[in-house]
Amino acid sequence: MAQTLEIESRGGKAGTPLLEVQNLVMHYGTKEGDVSAVEDVTFTLNNGEAIGLVGESGCGKTSIALTLLRLLPDNSVVKSGDVRLDGESLIGLDEEQMRRRRWRDISMVFQGAMNSWNPVYRIGDQIREALRLHWPETLTYQEETERIAALFELVGLNPATMERYPHEFSGGMRQRAVIAMALSCNPKVIIADEPTTALDVIVQDQILRELKKIQKELGMSIIYISHDIAVIAEVTERMGVMYAGKLVELGSTIEVFHRPKHPYSYLLLKSTPSITGPRRKLAPLEGEPPNLIEPPSGCRFHPRCPFATQQCIDEDPPLTTVGEGHSVACWHWQEVPEIGGLQK
Amino acid sequence: MTEPMTDIAAKTTPLVKVENLRKLYPVSKNIFREAHDFVHAVDDINFEIAPGESLGLVGESGCGKSTTGRMLTKLTDATSGQILLDDKGELIDIAHIQRSDMRRFRRRVQMIFQDPFESLNPRRTVYDTVAESLTVQRIGRVQEREERVAELLHRVGLTPPESFLFRYPHELSGGQRQRVAIARALVIDPTFVVADEPTSMLDVSIRISIMDLMLKLADEFNVSYLYITHDLAVARYMCDRIAVMYLGKIVEIAPTEELLANPRHPYTRALLSAVPVPDPAYKRERVDIKGGISKALNPPPVCRFIERCPRATDQCRTSDHPGFDDLGNGHLVACYNL
Repeated sequence: MAQTLEIESRGGKAGTPLLEVQNLVMHYGTKEGDVSAVEDVTFTLNNGEAIGLVGESGCGKTSIALTLLRLLPDNSVVKSGDVRLDGESLIGLDEEQMRRRRWRDISMVFQGAMNSWNPVYRIGDQIREALRLHWPETLTYQEETERIAALFELVGLNPATMERYPHEFSGGMRQRAVIAMALSCNPKVIIADEPTTALDVIVQDQILRELKKIQKELGMSIIYISHDIAVIAEVTERMGVMYAGKLVELGSTIEVFHRPKHPYSYLLLKSTPSITGPRRKLAPLEGEPPNLIEPPSGCRFHPRCPFATQQCIDEDPPLTTVGEGHSVACWHWQEVPEIGGLQK
Repeated sequence: MTEPMTDIAAKTTPLVKVENLRKLYPVSKNIFREAHDFVHAVDDINFEIAPGESLGLVGESGCGKSTTGRMLTKLTDATSGQILLDDKGELIDIAHIQRSDMRRFRRRVQMIFQDPFESLNPRRTVYDTVAESLTVQRIGRVQEREERVAELLHRVGLTPPESFLFRYPHELSGGQRQRVAIARALVIDPTFVVADEPTSMLDVSIRISIMDLMLKLADEFNVSYLYITHDLAVARYMCDRIAVMYLGKIVEIAPTEELLANPRHPYTRALLSAVPVPDPAYKRERVDIKGGISKALNPPPVCRFIERCPRATDQCRTSDHPGFDDLGNGHLVACYNL
């Protein structure tokens, strides 16, 4: 196979910053008022790294993904902040410049993407179309076919099945093909938003293992977005916890799971049932997530937080470093108890 | 399956006893022609539930767990088999119940659905929704009904009840709606509730409070649940025993901790090994199986799992679907190669 057809990540040297999100603020305008969906979020994705964003529905994790790809609805406004890919700001690009970067530089695997295949075209031909639109050089039909076959093999599909139509694929096969398509143009970053949420547990496990293997082999940089902290535990090295539009904790996955410093992360972990470890009483999180048109004053978590004091109502805690690569936005992070791992 | 059921539940009189229950869906190519092909959605299943006990029914989508729940609540008619329900010491077969007895049956059995956005009528207030079964069952006078509804709202945590009585579903959050659905199910004091994925649409933080509420109310109302879920961790939290379903068959039943610690059926093992664990330091033992779940369209009489089973032998290919082996302690497995 020609050198240009190698499947790889076009990111830079492992460990150097690739995608930088800086003080991003994004609001949706509605009739009732401005929804503060993403508020002052800062994080960096390094080359060759898999990071996770976890949080409940409405916490802003998908809004961040849509901002990175600039696929936001018309009523959204990026108020301030920046998103830089390899040092280049994506926020300032016009639609045509952005269109060329999507799929080529940043590609995506969305929840339910397996249902977005066009039913009347063969799967292989739909990937071929992506290659024709986004691959920088013109490939011959034969070269395209070879590349699609290689992609299929990489994601665990039989290359002969590229001639099939979407209805001939099972849900898991369709999601694998979506991953093949996301890899088709050697992107620098893949954003995987709930990539396995609609799948059954055995298929989910197979797909996550495949993604993890590909990420390691190609040195791909991936942002996983999920509401399921167990999925984040499986596939990421670093993670961010979001609550009500804010990034409240950022750290290595193992640190956040074993020694969470934000009360919300702690309660989220404590309220997740598991089939391993001793059967434990789960701690419910009282109350419901706030209305983001009028978010609570100070720390947005204070109405539900067992550690809250007057300071939390008055002042918004900044994200502060509490350990190596571990930062948290809480006035009372020192009071949050350690969790440790699940005992076998 | 001819062996007698030797369940722990069998030591007391069961509340619900399901015998050889089947549901076949005809698939016909032409509307004028009689169907010759059938999807075996639920195929010859047997289980019992003791009074006050919660049984979890787990499996992947399409395995027949929801169809089972719908047959137990008579939302779907069984093709054959019996569903025996204890009604004041007398076992009545609700699979073949008379229309005229339906109201009496509904008083004993209720259901909680998955999606609280769809299961509540958007044009009825909370009071209308919860009071409806009281009206249908002709229980109490208007004032008593109002008191009963208020009491239920209080017990499901919608307090103060007065502020919820006349609200419409669109004014409630997902968690509050599910609380209304729970109040509606329990208002007439049923003995048995089928809960079909009642928390899978809810966020993690809301999920635990709804699960805790259901556990608390199970005690207070002395009600048994058939808890249908795809999430084994949720089943572990909610249920005394778990039944694992695969393509219309129950392949293993055991007390919850026994099933998790000592799964015997190859499908149960594969399923358990695929559940992600919320601890990055935990290394799971992998059990690989081939392929994904399909439909049981005209299945051959052999073991349903045979195509994907790592242990399949000639016996599995030539014999009928295995019956339950009793391993003691209420642990039943349907497999030839333990």
